[in-house]
Amino acid sequence: MRAELRAELLRQRSTRTALGLFGAMLGLVLLAVLLHGLLPAESLGETHTQLLVFGRGEFLGALFAALLGAMSITAEIRHGTIRSTFLVSPRRERVVVAKVAVSVLIGAGFGLAAGALGVGVGAAALGARGIDVRLDGGDYALLVFGAAGAAALWAGIGVGVGALVRNQVPALIGICAWLLFVEGLLAGDLVGLGTVGRFLPGAAAAAVSGQDPQLLLAPAEGFVLLASYAAAWALAGAIAMSRRDVG
Amino acid sequence: MSERVDERDLLPPPPDGARDPVVTVASLTKRYGDLVAVDDLTFSLRSGTVTGFLGPNGAGKTTTLRVLLGLAEPSGGEALAFGHRYRELEQPARRIGAVLESSDFHPGRSGRDHLRTLALAARLPSSRVDDVLALVELEPAADRRVRTYSLGMRQRLGLAGALLGDPELLVLDEPANGLDPAGVHWLRRFLRRFAERGRTVLVSSHMLAEAAQTVDHVVIIDRGHRVASGRLEELTEHGRTLEDVFLGLTGTTP
Repeated sequence: MRAELRAELLRQRSTRTALGLFGAMLGLVLLAVLLHGLLPAESLGETHTQLLVFGRGEFLGALFAALLGAMSITAEIRHGTIRSTFLVSPRRERVVVAKVAVSVLIGAGFGLAAGALGVGVGAAALGARGIDVRLDGGDYALLVFGAAGAAALWAGIGVGVGALVRNQVPALIGICAWLLFVEGLLAGDLVGLGTVGRFLPGAAAAAVSGQDPQLLLAPAEGFVLLASYAAAWALAGAIAMSRRDVG
Repeated sequence: MSERVDERDLLPPPPDGARDPVVTVASLTKRYGDLVAVDDLTFSLRSGTVTGFLGPNGAGKTTTLRVLLGLAEPSGGEALAFGHRYRELEQPARRIGAVLESSDFHPGRSGRDHLRTLALAARLPSSRVDDVLALVELEPAADRRVRTYSLGMRQRLGLAGALLGDPELLVLDEPANGLDPAGVHWLRRFLRRFAERGRTVLVSSHMLAEAAQTVDHVVIIDRGHRVASGRLEELTEHGRTLEDVFLGLTGTTP
C-alpha cells in the first residue's frame, strides 16, 4: 500500500493540476467574499450573515477539493495513464484508496487555505466599512478547520464520483452542478425537501464549518455524516474500478 | 484455406523439462454485448522468440493483449503469463513490460516523473529510471514535459516504462506506428537483442513488411479467430511473402 501511496503523491505533485485548481480557488474566494462584503451594513452586522459570508471559503474549498479528487482518476482515464498505472499496480482498489488518501490530504490543505482566506478577507472587508465582527474564537476555528475537514471529505467524494463517472467533463460538471444548483433546489421550497435538505452532502459540509446552526446539523454531526458520504462514494468507486474493463 | 501449423511447434522445447510457456492463451473469448471481439483463441509463446501478432484492423489483437495484461476480463477461456493471470502476479512489472498506446502520458508531466511514478508503484529502485532513459536514448529530454515530445520520443518513453522492471516478456501493440525509418530500424534492433538474451516479445502489427523483418514466429488472427501460427520461415516457404500468406488467410485477396 505504501508503494501505491508514494506513487500517487508523486503523480499529483508532478503536474500543475493541483496548483492551478488551488490558484483558481483562492481567486474565487477573494471575489466571492469581497462581493458579499458589499451587502447592506445592517445585514452584514448580523452574526448569521457574517458566518455565511466568511463561510464562502468552506464552500469553494469543498468544491475545488472535490474537483481535484475527481481529476485524480478522470485525468488518468482521459490521458490513458490509467493503463500503465494498473499495469504496475494491478490491485486496483489499492490505487483508488491511494487516490482517496492523497486527495483528502491535499483537499484538507485546500480547505484550510480557502477557509483562512475567507475569514481574513471577510474581516478586512467588514473592518474597512466600520462594521463590527461579531464572531468569537470558536466561530473562527470552525470556519477555518471546519473548512479543512469539509474539503478533505469532499475530495474523497470527488474520487468516488470520478471513478464511477470516468469521463472527465461530465464528472466535473456534475460536481459543480450539484454543489452550485441541484442541492439548493432540492433543499429549497421548490422541491419541498425542507429540513431533510440539511442531510445532503453540501449542507453537511456547511454544517462542519459552523454555518447556520439553526437550520443545519451541529458541526460534529455534519462531519460524521459527510465522512459517511465520502466513505460510501470512495467504496463504490473502488468496486467499480476493480470490476470494469479499462478501455 | 487451411494453413494451420501444428500446435506443437509453439510449445516450449521438451528437453528443458516441464517449463511453462511464457504466454498461454487458451480458448479465449471476449464479447462486448453482441460483438464477439475474440472468439475461442488459442496460442502459446515460448521464451527467446519474437512473435508477430498479426491481423487486420478490428481482428481482436488489442483486445487479446488487454485481457492478457489484466486490463479486461475474459468472457470465456483464459490468457496466462508465466502460468498466472496478470492481476495475480506478484510484482508484474518485473516479469512483463507492455506498451499499448503511444500517447498514454499526461502532457504536463515530464518523462522522468512519468517513469518515477511507475518505479515507485512497482517498488523498483529509482536508479532504474536513469537506466531505461539511457537505454532508449531519452536522457536529454527527460525533464521536459511530454507535451513537447515528438511521436518517436513518446514511443521510446513508453518503451522505457515497459523496461523499468527489466522484464522477461515484452508486449507491444503496434509499436512501429508513426515511427520514422530510423526509429523503426532502432526498434527492430532493440527487439532482436532483447530476444537474443532469452527473453520473449509479443508484438502486434498490421505492417507486414516491417513485421517480416523483425519477428521469427507469427500468430495471425482474423475476426477473433486464429487462422495461422508457427515459425515465420515455415509459413513463408515456397517463396511466398508474409503478405501473400496474410492476404490469403484473412480473405482480403484482391
